[in-house]
Amino acid sequence: MRNLPTAPSTDQQLVAQVLGGNTAAFEHLVRRTEGLVTQLVFKMIRHPADRPDVAQDVYLKVFRCLAGFKFQAKLSTWVGQIAYNTCLHYLEKKQLVLLDPAETAPDDPPEEGRRAPPALVAGPDYDPEAALFGHDLAGILGTAIEQLPPLYRTLIALYHQQELSYEEIAQITSLPDGTVKNYLFRARKLLKQQLLARYQRDDL
Amino acid sequence: MTTPHLSERDLQEAAAQFPALPAPQAAHLRGCRRCQGQVATYQHLFAAAACLPQPAFDFDLAATVLAQLPRARPAFPWVLSGVAALVLGVVVAFLALFGGVLVQVFQGLFTGLGAVLTVVAGFLVAVQCLELLARHRRQMRLLALS
Repeated sequence: MRNLPTAPSTDQQLVAQVLGGNTAAFEHLVRRTEGLVTQLVFKMIRHPADRPDVAQDVYLKVFRCLAGFKFQAKLSTWVGQIAYNTCLHYLEKKQLVLLDPAETAPDDPPEEGRRAPPALVAGPDYDPEAALFGHDLAGILGTAIEQLPPLYRTLIALYHQQELSYEEIAQITSLPDGTVKNYLFRARKLLKQQLLARYQRDDL
Repeated sequence: MTTPHLSERDLQEAAAQFPALPAPQAAHLRGCRRCQGQVATYQHLFAAAACLPQPAFDFDLAATVLAQLPRARPAFPWVLSGVAALVLGVVVAFLALFGGVLVQVFQGLFTGLGAVLTVVAGFLVAVQCLELLARHRRQMRLLALS
């Protein structure tokens, strides 16, 4: 990658430079946010051949709409919002669902009289360290995440990999904070169930 | 131990350490090996998720996007200048060829009414030209941003 001129330090400076016709500033903008956009595109769009077009479309929209950016959120959050909406539009066009209701597990915890699935039952001697060490956790986790519905995959990636706050995720996805927390809870629970089931199968 | 085991939600919150657990659940967690194990499972899960490799395209996204941006408008509109020069040339050539005839025609028109009409017509043409120029500039600005 070639060296770029000194990056503008604030969102305001960056936007002003891009609007002033500075192409290098727009390159800074892309480099600053491409991690988030790539993450969103990869998590929401399953078909690899479509991802490059969608990602490019995101940045062309950002360029077209930048004059309308009002600094009510961080620039990266705004770009993330455009990326999320562009992916949503793609899914709608392809008639794909972001979250299949059948795939969502009930969010209430196991109560009295309701048994947890066998894979979740841990005896008093349950040792998660022993269960998890010695396995290719990253590889298995990556596979397990890929099996989640697109919205759950996206939320897991935004929260745990991009380290965004609940509020930022809510802004990007236009979902209420409570819904984001609820979906994240369900996604993690599903992931844990899948992983424990997998470990149990593998002589846990 | 009298308090029930932690709910899934409490286990996740304890693993993420956000928000802090209410006192009864925190006390239960301190004394329950089973719940500690479940919290540790979630902590492993979160740590592993944070370490997953970032997805990346196998091409330079920034360079590809930049190549598709509309080209910046040239500082001096050379094309427009060329067209203007061509039009001017045609007018000059026309005047050189038919100037004598035009002078004879316009000599008859230079009465009071003719002068007024000519001034009004000239004013309207000038206004139209200015409006055309402003519209052209607006369009070019829009093109540069779209």
